[in-house]
Amino acid sequence: MSRPPTLNSLKTVGHKTPRIDAVERSTGKATYTGDVHLPGMLYARVLRSTQAHAQIRKIDVSKAQALPGVKFILTHENCSTVWGSGSISGGRQYVDEVKKITKQKRYVFNNPVRFYGEPVAAVVATNRHLAEEAMRLITVEYDPLPFVLDQEEALKPEAVKIWPDGNISLTAKNEAKPEVYKRGDIEEGFRTSDHVFEDRYTTTYVHNAQMEPRVSVASWDGDKLTIYTPTQGISNCRHDMARDLGLPDEKVRVVCKYMGGGFGNKNQNQDADLIAALLAKETGAPVKLELTRKEDFIGVHGRWPTTQYYKVGVSKDGVLQSLQLRGYSGMGPYRKNTGAIGGVELYQCPNVESTVYPVITNRAVSGNYRAPEFPQGFFGIQSMMDDVAYKMKMDPVDFVLKNMTRKSNDVEPYSSYTLEECIRRGAEAFEWKKRWHAPGADSGPIKRGAGMAFMALRSPLGQSSAVVRLDSNGRYTVFVGVTDIGAGAKTTMSMIAAEALDVPMSKVDLVWGDTDRCPFSVGESGSRTTDMAGYAVIEAARDIKQQLAAKGMPQGENALIASASPNPSSEGKVRKAFGAHFVEVEVDTELGRVHVLKYVAVHDSGRIINPLTAESQIKGATTQGIGMALHEDLIYDRGSGQPINAGYYGARIMTHMDAPNIEVIFVESDDGYGPFGAKCIGEAGIVHAVAAIGNSVFNAIGHRIKDLPITRDKIVEVMA
Amino acid sequence: MTKRKSDISRREFLETTGAVFAVATANPVLRADASFATPTLADDVETGVPSTSIRIVVNGTEHKLQVEDRWTLAEVLRDHIGLTGTKIGCDRGECGACTVLLDGKPVYSCSNLAVWADGREIQTVEGLMHGDELDPLQQAFVEHDGPQCGFCTSGQLMSAKGLLSHNPHPTAHEVRAAMTGNICRCSNYNHYVEAVMAASNGKIAAAKIKSSDDSEKISAMKARKKTTASSTDAGGAR
Repeated sequence: MSRPPTLNSLKTVGHKTPRIDAVERSTGKATYTGDVHLPGMLYARVLRSTQAHAQIRKIDVSKAQALPGVKFILTHENCSTVWGSGSISGGRQYVDEVKKITKQKRYVFNNPVRFYGEPVAAVVATNRHLAEEAMRLITVEYDPLPFVLDQEEALKPEAVKIWPDGNISLTAKNEAKPEVYKRGDIEEGFRTSDHVFEDRYTTTYVHNAQMEPRVSVASWDGDKLTIYTPTQGISNCRHDMARDLGLPDEKVRVVCKYMGGGFGNKNQNQDADLIAALLAKETGAPVKLELTRKEDFIGVHGRWPTTQYYKVGVSKDGVLQSLQLRGYSGMGPYRKNTGAIGGVELYQCPNVESTVYPVITNRAVSGNYRAPEFPQGFFGIQSMMDDVAYKMKMDPVDFVLKNMTRKSNDVEPYSSYTLEECIRRGAEAFEWKKRWHAPGADSGPIKRGAGMAFMALRSPLGQSSAVVRLDSNGRYTVFVGVTDIGAGAKTTMSMIAAEALDVPMSKVDLVWGDTDRCPFSVGESGSRTTDMAGYAVIEAARDIKQQLAAKGMPQGENALIASASPNPSSEGKVRKAFGAHFVEVEVDTELGRVHVLKYVAVHDSGRIINPLTAESQIKGATTQGIGMALHEDLIYDRGSGQPINAGYYGARIMTHMDAPNIEVIFVESDDGYGPFGAKCIGEAGIVHAVAAIGNSVFNAIGHRIKDLPITRDKIVEVMA
Repeated sequence: MTKRKSDISRREFLETTGAVFAVATANPVLRADASFATPTLADDVETGVPSTSIRIVVNGTEHKLQVEDRWTLAEVLRDHIGLTGTKIGCDRGECGACTVLLDGKPVYSCSNLAVWADGREIQTVEGLMHGDELDPLQQAFVEHDGPQCGFCTSGQLMSAKGLLSHNPHPTAHEVRAAMTGNICRCSNYNHYVEAVMAASNGKIAAAKIKSSDDSEKISAMKARKKTTASSTDAGGAR
């Protein structure tokens, strides 16, 4: 990997470093939550709704309760705990203030049930087979209600009202209104445009499908709860558990030593954590609640499906004049995130208007999945723009270079800007001029095509904390509340600490994943851990170095301790990571099969802390994006409102045989902020991968498939 | 009526109710900091639930167990023998996280009942090390950054081990084909294939365990692991 001359080389940071826990993860010794076994532990299972929308008339648990070994059963009748801030007004489910005022409360057990798979009861018994058996003895009588699955249909007057206020998810102030962004005057922009294009794109619900299904182990010691759970943020999880259970924060301890992925659906606390805690309280014994794969697919959350209408005005030389998006995001019945549709910010344009409705439906809940609002929005808008370039008879790369963002929302400067370089480097490495051709130009049934897409992704600074201790043996212990979802945070933190302390990594021990031992950390979501927690580690290291200089090495039982809770700012500049993907596909137009031949992923994520794990992040995220583009979809039966393909085979998750080789090129920069200039990386690979695949398929076959996923049947249909 | 072990189906037991149940006894307390220890449960077969006495050899160690007929092999390895390196990702034969070698052949241990393994040899991820040295495959996984979250890694390793035992020098395509039943949602497929290729080309030597954040666990593993038979010796290609 070549390094620009402006980037000074460092001793530890920037060198390929195997994960500090790679041996544990490769020997089976890493202890995940499911491996936790406490003495006298009971097992819990959740019974879920078989209706998409229904009033529960009666739940009879008597037969289940009578089974010897069954310890307790929770239903909406004996549990009124509210999970999160309610129906999550404005996507701000973790804001305490919202919980007090929301009109759309999400209980742990709700009546009516509003989606197939919603928890109806939880059983705890002496072993998991018994809990499953007891679950089958519970009878639930439903009064079915009409249901609506599609986000546009849900806003029609005849659609059933899933909540009394209608099907637009309420904001943090209980208002039923869309998210709107405006600059300039779009109508004026369209009037002065030489060409105006309109189109509609849709994307589907795809599930995070992390390998480790949701599991939670709860144990009470007096009035203190310890919860072992795979969470992406131990600090947030603790606070949310405490709030939902009415406890002070210090009465909750959250432990997450290792976790098997999450990609956003293990953010903060989950209903499984609450159920395990409540059952453990009732029974006075530790409780392990395990979700099956199917439950995890339909009972947690995935990426929101969208319908996107675009109207684009350009001048005759292909410069954007006006850009309008009207979008609908299907949030399921309980909104867990904003439902935004990213993408309009990617373009320089004087007149922009984006109106996005977060819509309540009776599908599985939508929430965070790796770059929550971007892959679906980037697919829509970059397919649209690729089509505009085609209709304007322009090379898509030229069109992008002419119209891509150069300042945030055309106003605020970026802290550093390398988008043009990413595109140039990618086009060069990919040999764009050689591979791209007129759409559908190949003769014969096997057609090749090239496509590209680009990205700018938020990479903000923010608050996190770290503590560093130096003992008389010369070893440094770093306490930082990361959980290492798989992104390599533990290794990254150790490398940053070693660099900042100017010692080899072997002198650094890390304490992580336990709220009783670690200070506040932002949590592993939003690609923020390196930037925020990493910066706190540097600040704490700086402090302890000063102490060391002033006081000398601690002797005997003495120690030096330093802490830092920085909340830095980028001083009016907008930090973003940049990137460009170039892909060549081969499409068998008779079988509809898409085969990725070449994939070049160029990324500026600032300074790369660990090139080894950074590459894994980009490759993995990109591969997930390819899956979203070509296969993945949670399909619902429109008659019954049931998901019919929950699971790895059904939802067609990428496998070894599907995954192409991905060539990663890092364009490194140091904008002077963040830890040694690092920017976000975990989500960066997926955001434009979907659009890049879509554009390459268009270039191959000359027909644009506007509804994800781009499955074989759709290709065969347009080619017939 | 006595059924042959091979006649017992998993579905049957998912549908069968035992009439009488006993409370599982609490096991010897090992309440250290996090109580991560997994106990060996010898006497927790439910009264009234059909069970069978089996003998299996796991990583070279013989285990005689009374198992409920409905228990999967994955369940027995994890909950009753304490080998939690084998993961359960889907419990329905889709993801491959639970892959172990059964007489040298990779199988999904979630989709095999424990009674079917009676009299057979099983190798799990815990049986891959050679004394205190990592297997070259494990070392290659470490060096090539195979595991991201690591939850699929044990299964990936066992499928790769099964492949290399009968095809020591596979092509990259053969590696992908042999491991395609092992899903990695982190999608680190490129690195897994590179690692297996490197190990098969002898580019990776067995390596002593280096510094780790859980060295006491490795010591415990070494203590438990005595006479591990390697899968290739035990089963070979079938």
